[in-house]
Amino acid sequence: MSLSKPQPLSALAPGSRGTVIRVTRDLTSRAERLAALGVTPGAQVSVLQTFPGVVFECDQTELVIERLVARSIWIELE
Amino acid sequence: MGNPNVGKSVVFERLTGRYVTVSNYPGTTVTVTRGRATVGAEVCDIVDTPGVNAIEGVLSEDEKVTRNLMRDGGAELIVQIADARNLRRALMLTSQLADLCLPMILVLNMMDEARARGVDVDVPALSEELGIPVVEAVAPEGRGIAELREALPQAGRPSAARDAGLSHIEWADEMTRRFRTIGAVTIGRIQEWLGRAVRQPLTGIPILLVVLYVTYLVVGVFGAQTLVGLLEKGLFGTFINPWSVRLAAYIPLAFVRDFLVGDYGLITMGLTYAIAIVLPVVTTFFLVFGFLEDSGYIPRLAIFSDRLFRAMGLNGKAVLPMVLGLGCDTMATMTTRILTTPKERLIAILLLALGVPCSAQLATIMGILGGISFWALLTLFGVVLTQMIIVGFLAAQLLPGDRSDFILELPPLRLPRLRNLLTKTSLRVRWYLGEAVPLFLIGTALLFVLDRIGGLAIIANAARPVVTGLLGLPSKAAEVFVMGFLRRDYGAAGLFLMASNGALSHVQAVVALTVMTLFVPCVANFLMIVKERGLKIGLAILVFITAIAVGTGAALHAALRIFHVAF
Repeated sequence: MSLSKPQPLSALAPGSRGTVIRVTRDLTSRAERLAALGVTPGAQVSVLQTFPGVVFECDQTELVIERLVARSIWIELE
Repeated sequence: MGNPNVGKSVVFERLTGRYVTVSNYPGTTVTVTRGRATVGAEVCDIVDTPGVNAIEGVLSEDEKVTRNLMRDGGAELIVQIADARNLRRALMLTSQLADLCLPMILVLNMMDEARARGVDVDVPALSEELGIPVVEAVAPEGRGIAELREALPQAGRPSAARDAGLSHIEWADEMTRRFRTIGAVTIGRIQEWLGRAVRQPLTGIPILLVVLYVTYLVVGVFGAQTLVGLLEKGLFGTFINPWSVRLAAYIPLAFVRDFLVGDYGLITMGLTYAIAIVLPVVTTFFLVFGFLEDSGYIPRLAIFSDRLFRAMGLNGKAVLPMVLGLGCDTMATMTTRILTTPKERLIAILLLALGVPCSAQLATIMGILGGISFWALLTLFGVVLTQMIIVGFLAAQLLPGDRSDFILELPPLRLPRLRNLLTKTSLRVRWYLGEAVPLFLIGTALLFVLDRIGGLAIIANAARPVVTGLLGLPSKAAEVFVMGFLRRDYGAAGLFLMASNGALSHVQAVVALTVMTLFVPCVANFLMIVKERGLKIGLAILVFITAIAVGTGAALHAALRIFHVAF
């Protein structure tokens, strides 16, 4: 299994699986709110759908986020 | 307490016997409910709290309330309810709770669903590591509740991140790795297929249309036409009203007689409206609505509506209060607490008051316009929806503040439990009977008095330029609008009778109902807005909405006349 270059969640196709390696921190509380829902470095995610919203599964939970938020979640594909 | 949508209210009900409305989406509980339970020989006060994702860092309004309640509210013991599927998130919260230094118990709820997904937790080992009782439960079936009661005296302060010298996240990660195993998934194929079908646009939008159509069939056709027909023409028209008139004939005072069975009689008007016209629709609506709530379908609508809501300064999350508003705008106004920023809350409250018709009002709309044509119905909803979008768009530009990110958890799709559905519906119907019906009666009494002292004529005269001039309605409609100030649906019920007596043309019915729908829903909703946002904003919303309602009605009347639409 080769590790690829990290990509933002917003760039992944449905069906992709990977591990969160970083959540971009900015002035908003975005990273904290994602962390409270389990989206933290190390979490396993799989992308279910990318339009109209980005739907993905993280830790047995289905989450839906807008594209803007998906850009700040960086994934290392399996 | 615990994360959102993990079943806190179900456990609360099982412990105290007190029912709290339970649904399948985060944020059903927005207020604190208190109850009592006897454990052994002791009587405990138990508090059900809104769900929280964190009690440290950036918090939403209900998260702050919950944290303060535990920190400063004299809590002696915390029972954390967790979704067993999601141990990691639960433990992050456990770790933060541990810092409060209160004895705790951890309940792993939904063990059945977790197992179906192949999740297994080594409960004894976890319990030993944390140093607190950990109880497995399937709360709706009552499994694990007895164990929870027994475990209460053994509650202890958990050892968590702080003791291990780790951050909350690191600690939760490590605990999850050690005590949770994920094996083969035995989840039903149907559930997975359905989950995909409802969230993808190609299948999801047709499904939405089918859901709306079925709702229309049950509520608009079966409830508003079949049942209302039976009750209004049958029960009230042939039995109750003629009999009451006959009985009332024995009352020597004409004044009392009219008060009971006259034009504005408590029985002939008040009860007829409340029981014959509104009740059947409210009941059928609550049934369908409860089913949708418990299935977990409603939050999925947020996926499709996010873009639209973003144009209005909100995000997809706002679909929850908006759809709940179809049940009751007053409750929905409270649910806006799940939105993050003050700007979002204000816009949502404004739009709820402006355009979202509550169940009782939907009743009368469907009753009147369903009888005219599908196009009449479409016109009304089209105008109201456009108006909401315009107002929302302007509010988004004009009001200061930001919208927040759209991040929403989708609850699992489930087949609703019949018991919960029936309990919830009967509770809501009882609420309607207890809360709305008295207002109908008070309103009728008020109209009766106004009519007697000539006030009604004065109001009708004063409102004539607007009602007949601008809106092109018969002047009697002014009375109905007076009723509409009390409760929108009550006013609409008045329109229903006018329409069925032939006092309103089809065009007039559409215009009158549109104005009524855009009005502030009811006195209760107004008071709730004041409670949530203050008197100044409440009054501003009231004035603004009344102006919009009349303005829109006038424009609609003019447009329909110019284009010679007759429905």
